[in-house]
Amino acid sequence: MAIIEAKNIHRKFGEGALTAHILKGIDVTIEKGEFVAIMGKSGAGKSTLMYQLSVLDTPTEGSVVIDGVDVVALNERESTLFRLNTLGYVFQNYALVPDLSAEENVMLTLLMRDYDWKTAKAMARAAIDGVGLEGKYKNLPAELSGGEQQRVSVARAVAGKPKILFADEPTANLDTVSGTQVVDLIADLNKTVGQTVVMVTHEREYALGCDRIINMEDGLVTSIEQLK
Amino acid sequence: MQTFRIGLLLGFRQIQRANTWTTVLIIFVMMLTFLNLIAVSGILVGLIAGSERAVQDKSIGDLVITPLDDEEKILQTETIRRVLDTVPEVSAYSIRYQESVQVTANYKTRRDFGIEPNAIGARALGIDPVAENAVTALAENVIEGEYLNPDESGYILIGALNLDRYTAGFADITGALEDVYPGDSVRVTVNEMSREFTVKGIINAKAGDVASFVYIPEKELRRLSNTASRDADEIVVRLADKTPETGAVMKSILLQQDIDSLAEIRTFQEALPKFITDIKQTFNILGTFIGAVGIIVASITIFIIIFINAISRRQQIGILKGIGINRRAIEVAYVLQSAFYALVGSLLGVLVTYGFLVGYFDANPIDFPFSDGILVAEPIGTLYRFIILFIITLFAGFIPAWIIVRQNTLNSILGRK
Repeated sequence: MAIIEAKNIHRKFGEGALTAHILKGIDVTIEKGEFVAIMGKSGAGKSTLMYQLSVLDTPTEGSVVIDGVDVVALNERESTLFRLNTLGYVFQNYALVPDLSAEENVMLTLLMRDYDWKTAKAMARAAIDGVGLEGKYKNLPAELSGGEQQRVSVARAVAGKPKILFADEPTANLDTVSGTQVVDLIADLNKTVGQTVVMVTHEREYALGCDRIINMEDGLVTSIEQLK
Repeated sequence: MQTFRIGLLLGFRQIQRANTWTTVLIIFVMMLTFLNLIAVSGILVGLIAGSERAVQDKSIGDLVITPLDDEEKILQTETIRRVLDTVPEVSAYSIRYQESVQVTANYKTRRDFGIEPNAIGARALGIDPVAENAVTALAENVIEGEYLNPDESGYILIGALNLDRYTAGFADITGALEDVYPGDSVRVTVNEMSREFTVKGIINAKAGDVASFVYIPEKELRRLSNTASRDADEIVVRLADKTPETGAVMKSILLQQDIDSLAEIRTFQEALPKFITDIKQTFNILGTFIGAVGIIVASITIFIIIFINAISRRQQIGILKGIGINRRAIEVAYVLQSAFYALVGSLLGVLVTYGFLVGYFDANPIDFPFSDGILVAEPIGTLYRFIILFIITLFAGFIPAWIIVRQNTLNSILGRK
């Protein structure tokens, strides 16, 4: 059953002669519970595609339906609410709030979803435990290593049990060991709880654990590798 | 509700983790702004309030009884005196007589009759030294020599503004006695009747005409002016409670005794010249204007602080929006910060104002030429100014946050313009 259906996605920036045509008509379908990697060289348009699929950007042309919702038609307030309730994000620069402790960072989206403080705290701690950071609940991001911060970021993304987890180059700022740990963590979530994952990466070794790899070049899907 | 909760969490933690010295500096700026708002207008108004207070304490008391418009003297002064004696709230009163006099000094040593005599025209105030001192504490204003002794006769007090050495160069215009000191003899002339007096002391005070009168015991002044009548020119009354409310109540009690058919009764406030109340209003407006400039400066300061804070966290704001935190929650966080700065700064300002400045200026008034300036900070006025500062600060915090938060989410995340 498809959880994401994107058809004829175009994304252009600028106007007239200065128009940059980044996505040139892409069709993507992602099944529920699937772990998909989007790969390509720098400038291929992989991150731009992920932004269209993850409701962070709106395509210039085409449609994106997620879990039965036409997300292109959502206004800003609706798309924020949709992202909160349906999607989880892991960004390449960890994107933690520096003033909040690890558990408070994870609690943010839970509190926004109207969980009471006590429940949100318990869920956040469970998520932090789940990424192997037991006991580091009160640490500020600055007190954690890059790999640990990214794991907190994963915990934040999955604590509210989103339908789809998007990871934008989650290993880009990490050493090989930490990068592998983070990708294993995401793959484990996919295996154990059937979490749908869409991950952008330019490092093939991290994509090998996925179900499918979508290869891109110059704004087009050039090939799809079915690994599992 | 969850929006507010998230905003509180984000805002509180930002304040908590902010650089301590930056926070202290911002709060200090807010405190100074608040003090500027209170103190500048307070001191301007205090110039006049200090003058008013001095006039009330040292010149005209809490109630003033004067002749009716078509009379020269207070009618049946003795009747009024008896009425005043029966009112327990009256703690003291002084019956005053006024005459225009000429005071001549050094007349015994004058050799050359071709030059101007050392003399001035002045107003003499005939007083009972004990009663006058009970109302106006006149003895405290003796700056040279001594106060009048009720058991002695032949002594006078001279207001400093009648003496050359106290008129700061204005003597040529106003006329003043030269080289007159306590112990010197002067001749006082009323309607061609003269008598020699010894100067007992010099009086000076920044309160109405206190420093311009010549003070003579009332019996001696009436004798000199050959006045048999005991009807007075003025009665000043000191009440046990000096508040304007009590003054108004006491006036109505005296009116019930039909004293208004014998004299005019005015409270201290009613007796104040209109120009003083006009100046007070003008200074209040001026102070408010200066305070408004202070508020604008403070709001710009807060705007810049919050703007820099928000712009430096633009990517973080974008990510918060990206993960589903709504705009309002992020705006609340920044508004909370400005509210914190305004609140703590203002509270410190209130503490400094009421815990130190008001008391300090009360004890050490500013020495202005025409009054001893105090700091007037009415609590209700302070509350209004605090509310104004607080609301404007909230807007100053909200606007930059709103500007940054409304930017495109993805552009913020990627740091694109």
